[in-house]
Amino acid sequence: MTEQRTQESPGDGVSTINYALAINHAMAEEMRRDSRVWILGQDVGRMGGVFGVTRGLLDEFGPLRVRDTAINETFIVGAAAGAAMTGTIPIAELQFADFMLIAGDEIFGKLAKWRYMHGGKLSLPAVVRVPTGLLGGVGAEHSQSLEVLGMHFPGVKVALPSTPADAKGLLKSAIRDPNPVLFFEHKGLYRVKGEVPDDPEFLVPFGVAAVRRRGDALTVIATGMMVDRTLAAADVLAREGHEVEVIDPRTLVPLDMETILESVQRTGRAMIVHEAVRTAGAGAEIASRIHEELFFALDAPVWRLGAIDTPIPQDPELEQLCIPQVPGIVEAMRGLIAL
Amino acid sequence: MASSAPRKRAATVITEVDATRATDLYRTVARIRAAELVLQRHITEHGFGGFWHPGLGQEGVQAGAVAALRTDDYMFIAHRGLGYALAKGMSLESLFGDLFARTVGSTGGKGGGTVHFVDPERGVLGQGGAIGSSFVLGAGAAISGQMLGTDRVCAIFFGDGASSRGTWHESALQASVWKLPIVWICENNGWAVSARISEQSPTENIADRASAYGVPGVIVDGQDAIAVFDAVTEAVDRARAGHGPTLIEAKTMRIRGHYEGDRQKYRDDLLVGDEIPRDPLGILREHVPASVADQLDDDARHEAESVLASVLEAPRADPSIIYKDVWS
Ligand SMILES: Cc1ncc(C[n+]2csc(CCOP(=O)(O)OP(=O)(O)O)c2C)c(N)n1
Ligand SMILES: [Mg+2]
Repeated sequence: MTEQRTQESPGDGVSTINYALAINHAMAEEMRRDSRVWILGQDVGRMGGVFGVTRGLLDEFGPLRVRDTAINETFIVGAAAGAAMTGTIPIAELQFADFMLIAGDEIFGKLAKWRYMHGGKLSLPAVVRVPTGLLGGVGAEHSQSLEVLGMHFPGVKVALPSTPADAKGLLKSAIRDPNPVLFFEHKGLYRVKGEVPDDPEFLVPFGVAAVRRRGDALTVIATGMMVDRTLAAADVLAREGHEVEVIDPRTLVPLDMETILESVQRTGRAMIVHEAVRTAGAGAEIASRIHEELFFALDAPVWRLGAIDTPIPQDPELEQLCIPQVPGIVEAMRGLIAL
Repeated sequence: MASSAPRKRAATVITEVDATRATDLYRTVARIRAAELVLQRHITEHGFGGFWHPGLGQEGVQAGAVAALRTDDYMFIAHRGLGYALAKGMSLESLFGDLFARTVGSTGGKGGGTVHFVDPERGVLGQGGAIGSSFVLGAGAAISGQMLGTDRVCAIFFGDGASSRGTWHESALQASVWKLPIVWICENNGWAVSARISEQSPTENIADRASAYGVPGVIVDGQDAIAVFDAVTEAVDRARAGHGPTLIEAKTMRIRGHYEGDRQKYRDDLLVGDEIPRDPLGILREHVPASVADQLDDDARHEAESVLASVLEAPRADPSIIYKDVWS
């Protein structure tokens, strides 16, 4: 992690680019490095992806390595699994994370289990890229945060980058990982800019959380789009004299519980903030583990903030009411510290 | 001696190659048959920790089709017996080992019950418990074969029931558009558990669907291993030459229950006794001298019995195996 921070510090060899382009660079670099890496998905070639993430890749790598598919999510992920077990490294793009359920058996029954079922004789180094979360008016079937599914099906790794640098470094690690990875890209972050190392060997390891802010009053574990909102809320608390520690796990599988537990041990208070539905979300698992490990070190129960138990409404203003907002996070932080 | 075997189909003199082919196919079918019978007897007498889906009577499809493949061609098997994997060169010990969860199994003792035979060196890439998984997986293997610059073909075995899955439709369209090197081999045995083919398909033949996908659809007598071999060879050549996939429908029949022990109360076409109508062995015997065939039968029986006995003596894996191979 120390090494990671030095790599992230700005200086020579750093570009300020957006999250979408960081992901694009990760793929382009890995495809240049390894001719076995290829892409498939709807509109990924000629159009460059519905969110523009694969722009330019068809021109550079040609139609055999950047394949436009029909509308066939089951095929996209299933073919990725079959290709992965036979020596190539597919990156499958689904247009929305929600469509993981259309390829449910291919992700959770095939990618996650094939190696185990077949006695370890096959490896499945595939990446499934899924645009996740609210975008503003895309509705109940295109807005969900389903990352917890990856935690519930042993055999797939789960990444959930919240910054352009993490998006690039985690995706490069995912492509090099011999295991299948579900890569959740937040649709609301695609146009957010940040400093990203140019070094083609820049990698962000899985299972290493990033401490986004140091503090001693409370530990908040936040993921994806909620990281920035939590940091904004922590700034408000700082003006009130409370320093909040903010941890971004970056990957949920594997999950860096060590960093989380070390922090909560110090602060005595913990809260999880995610965009996914609160009930049975990743936060429920993280809260349970904290309770199990640190019951006697806690000054208060672990709290969770997440989406309410409804589908996401179509209207862009209404949809925001379903997920945590900065004022709500501030209020929860104050409440938990006062307990 | 094989060259003196009579040949029914044509008036021409049998060639050396045909005779060798017929003998080889006979040997494979006999080995599968012997394994089937020895398992059937064992399960009847001792039970079984899982579900064995017998392929009795379907050996001709499995042996004939696999004989048309190269050792390095990819193959996704179906759940109906062990013929595919045995024909591809996996040892009977490794297959029985999987069925009885012994360390000698191809999955090192993780198998057990229903089949997940695997052998990457021989292109055997396993089988999905969710029927119809293999269409999409097989397409991916075919893409790898192309991208790695090989001329490997991928054979995908499936039942008539599996042909109803959406995975079939998605794969048939995309594989045809991309001209992937695939041969789909449907073992139409008339039943999907208790559902008759006529209740699942509006057309009599699964192969009738091929034209909608822009691929050749071939119907072949699945009891005739040589006919299956010829049909699959043509499809493999076509795939290898870059002309795309072929759908082959082999008409066969399910002799036993869906699983061994299924009482089949739903069935009105029950066959009695051990009689297999249009037995693939009988059909092959027209091309193989009786003395040779008899010897191959004996060898196969002996192999199946001795391998089963030794596998049952082999150790089970250490229980810690349950934690192994989740991750690479
Ligand atoms: C997706 C799925 N649905 C149902 C089942 C249960 N099942 C196992 S085999 C089978 C019938 C398959 O029929 P067919 O493809 O014709 O193969 P056969 O058993 O006749 O060889 C069914 C319904 C399953 N394994 N997977
Ligand atoms: Mg059937």
